[in-house]
Amino acid sequence: MAATAERAFGKATSRRGEHLLGIATLIALGISAALSLLVAPPDAVQGEVQRIMYVHVPAAWLAYLSFFVVFISSIAYLKTNKTRWDRVAAASAEIGVLFTSLAIVLGMLWGKPVWGTWWTWDPRLTTTAVLLLIYVAYLAVRRITDNPSRRARWAAVIGIVGFIDVPIVHLSVAWWRSLHQGPTVFRLGGPEIEGTMLLALLVGVAAFTITYAYLMILRLRVGRLEERAAREALSPLVGAER
Amino acid sequence: MAPNAGFVIAGYLVTALALGGYTLRLFARARTARRRSQAIADRRRDR
Repeated sequence: MAATAERAFGKATSRRGEHLLGIATLIALGISAALSLLVAPPDAVQGEVQRIMYVHVPAAWLAYLSFFVVFISSIAYLKTNKTRWDRVAAASAEIGVLFTSLAIVLGMLWGKPVWGTWWTWDPRLTTTAVLLLIYVAYLAVRRITDNPSRRARWAAVIGIVGFIDVPIVHLSVAWWRSLHQGPTVFRLGGPEIEGTMLLALLVGVAAFTITYAYLMILRLRVGRLEERAAREALSPLVGAER
Repeated sequence: MAPNAGFVIAGYLVTALALGGYTLRLFARARTARRRSQAIADRRRDR
């Protein structure tokens, strides 16, 4: 089972696999944009501006997924001490910060016409801003020390503790009084959303998930190349030259 | 144009720029790292 998964990962990370995944990402994002902008009907109350949901919600879900991967990889690193887990955590954290920032900016663009303000200290918005700060700090900590094992250990601890904020963000709309709307898909009694809108949303989530997989593969390759360059630059042969 | 369509256009534009920009940045980082490794290897060969 593990060998099969490793073979599949090896195929996906080969240059050919990477190109194919890149093409699949573009096609998936194109289909998602067409469904969201041309097929899904406008919202009865909010009108056209509700279409931002088809990118805002997938960005937020993918931020959760990215930080979950950081959480799992951090545990795996502390258990096994294998550098590859640290590499996966670092890559996923960087992509998670991108998706969280995107979710916040898209939320602001949606909030202005609907709530009348770009930003308010609402529980969902505030906990999301804290989430962004936690993982920006995670990336900053990775730059503090040059010692790879110390860096990986410190980062793993933040990656595990920081993940506590993810369920807080998700449940904030249920725990506190919030301007932000509550869950519409995962709720008791089934999704509270029109069929075409739900389809466009799910296709959006799928397209963003493929995008995440593609970015992860690219970012892991960059990580390997940067590590190799740093290792070679520090090798005694080159050091003796200087 | 529908009211508030500007916000929708801005939203999709921001998404495309963020995802596309980050992808291009990753390609640039990979190229820089490869060139650095190559430059070090060339210097070693020249010694």
